[in-house]
Amino acid sequence: MTAGPTGTATLEPLPPPEADTGAAARLGPRRWVRENLFSSPLDSVLTVIFGLLLAYVVYRGLRFALVSGRWEIIRVNLTNFAIGRFPREQVPRLWAAIFVAAAGIGLGSGMAASAGPTSRPVDTLRRLAPLAVLIVVLLSLARTPTPALLTLCGVAVLVGAHFLGRRLPARLARRVHWVYLGTVLAIFVVLTQFGGVAWNAWGGLLLTLFLAVAGIALSFPIGVLLALGRRSSFPAVRVVCVGYIELIRGVPLITLLFMAGFALGFFLPVGVPRPGLVTRALVAFVAFTAAYVAEIVRGGLQGVSSGQVEAAQAIGLSPVKTTRLIVLPQALRNVIPALVGQFISLFKDTSLVAFLAVLEILSVAQLVTQQDDFRGQSLQAEALVFVSFVYWTFCYAMSRASQRLERRLAVGER
Amino acid sequence: MTDATINADATTVGGTGEPIIVCENVDKLFGDFQALEDINLRVGKQEVVVVIGPSGSGKSTLIRCINRLEKHDRGRIVVDGVEMSDDVRHITEIRREVGMVFQQFNLFPHMTVLENITLGPRQVRRWNKRKAEETAMQQLERVQIPEQAAKYPGQLSGGQQQRVAIARALAMQPKVMLFDEPTSALDPEMIKEVLDVMQELAESGMTMIVVTHEMGFARSVADRVVFMADGQIVEVGTPEHFFTSPEEDRTKLFLSQIL
Ligand SMILES: Nc1ncnc2c1ncn2[C@@H]1O[C@H](COP(=O)(O)OP(=O)(O)O)[C@@H](O)[C@H]1O
Ligand SMILES: [Mg+2]
Repeated sequence: MTAGPTGTATLEPLPPPEADTGAAARLGPRRWVRENLFSSPLDSVLTVIFGLLLAYVVYRGLRFALVSGRWEIIRVNLTNFAIGRFPREQVPRLWAAIFVAAAGIGLGSGMAASAGPTSRPVDTLRRLAPLAVLIVVLLSLARTPTPALLTLCGVAVLVGAHFLGRRLPARLARRVHWVYLGTVLAIFVVLTQFGGVAWNAWGGLLLTLFLAVAGIALSFPIGVLLALGRRSSFPAVRVVCVGYIELIRGVPLITLLFMAGFALGFFLPVGVPRPGLVTRALVAFVAFTAAYVAEIVRGGLQGVSSGQVEAAQAIGLSPVKTTRLIVLPQALRNVIPALVGQFISLFKDTSLVAFLAVLEILSVAQLVTQQDDFRGQSLQAEALVFVSFVYWTFCYAMSRASQRLERRLAVGER
Repeated sequence: MTDATINADATTVGGTGEPIIVCENVDKLFGDFQALEDINLRVGKQEVVVVIGPSGSGKSTLIRCINRLEKHDRGRIVVDGVEMSDDVRHITEIRREVGMVFQQFNLFPHMTVLENITLGPRQVRRWNKRKAEETAMQQLERVQIPEQAAKYPGQLSGGQQQRVAIARALAMQPKVMLFDEPTSALDPEMIKEVLDVMQELAESGMTMIVVTHEMGFARSVADRVVFMADGQIVEVGTPEHFFTSPEEDRTKLFLSQIL
């Protein structure tokens, strides 16, 4: 149900991590090894075979990363990978946006931490590890120290804002979503307004992130509304929602993208200005993902017992409040893994805009191997491994965040 | 108790003698199946009516019609002077005055005990947080679990959950409380704590309609007992009348099976 048509499978909800670490500590390393890896002859044989295989893979991987890989192509094109054709003289806006993001995230997390259960710094670091690794790798590839210095400043802003957020009165913590919303708005203003760069001219990782974030932020509410509309007591609303969902789910994403990219002119009335390619692609992603979100949320809605609705009605809550305060929170909590899986799919599927000649990070990887300096040198492996690594860090971070959210919301569940 | 309850039938009124719930010729159909047939019942202010009867006889359906969890098909239902109709304002007004306790508790699992109880007063009665929480704590004292306020329902025993559910209904300051088999989902050792709370509530003068199989409760707390079978009210009487000299054969048969 949640797999995209491009074959990008959803991540299954993994069991919460750090479940087994206790066992090793209690048994002692030697006994643990004996009992888990060499408990029978067959076990031992398998351990040796897979151990060798693993060692070989790790060896080849490390060799490629540290010795044989020719990473010059990444080094030279780092800015291309990051922002594509984003005008270079406008790059200071990007750094400003990063500072705004750092301030917003720091402030928001600080406010949330002052209200909610405090997590140990170790846990926070572990959670941020994949993104931290990505940033370190990117900075180590940079040719000047400027990005590293600016990043350090960004980290300082983040930490400073975090501790400021902790000091704010606790009652403000309920308003933390306004901080995040404001941050997003501020980033958009900084990047696009007052002589900035419209997103149709963005590229690289910046564009990938934009498509993913905007796609998620828009498709989620639309999907929820579609799921609710599907259960509406008005037949007309029901028919429209079911029709939309079934129509979209019967069409491959790439078809929607092509339609948005090349055939939109047939659907728009004459005289309406034609939106840019990135906007068109975003519309296709949102239209597509919303239908899948709707189906996932529908499953969650079905899982909320009728007794919950009756109890809310018996208190006198209106239907809207019953849905908003009782049904939706429970339904959404139950489908977090599937929803995040869908959003991870969306994140990876943004690479399909390459077919519209929009330069997101994967298309950059394709193009740089054709540059004069690198043509004919078979550097596809380096470019693709690098891009895969970037994708992986974000997807892994999303998956970890979803597990954490699940655990936090599961408080008090039986 | 007034004279009315002694020779009680379904249309006389107990309690203070002033009716607060009136059902007249109420029918309820599920498709072709008639779940309620020509129900006539008046409940007086401060009266405690216990409804008994075999499974499937329409007891739940009857009390669910009183707060519109089910829509009756024919007849009249009037609660505290407000006639039940399709008008949303009437429904809301009635639900405000009628609290309900379910067999399965139906607490909101994603909210703490305190949030469960303050939800109605804040959202429906529009009280501020402080007033709602003060009232909620009073109700928790009343059901004797104030120390559980910050917990989630899943962390409580069944008996505690049902007492929270009672507190949640009471926090709306209803004029009538409906109980649908409130102890049927409980382990035996927890039944008493819930019945004690209900008895205390009855003694405080709350108007109550209680569907239950706890005959001890019916005997000691009820002003009137209503016996239902096949969607009809078969017999109504005081507990003494009911448990010593029932008139109808079906009542006798039912009592012989459960006593
Ligand atoms: N939503 C419903 N749809 C169809 N039949 C129902 C529904 N609710 C109750 N019934 C039927 O109505 C009859 C009375 O049910 P109920 O009031 O729950 O009985 P009781 O509470 O006395 O056990 C039963 O035969 C039951 O199957
Ligand atoms: Mg029942």
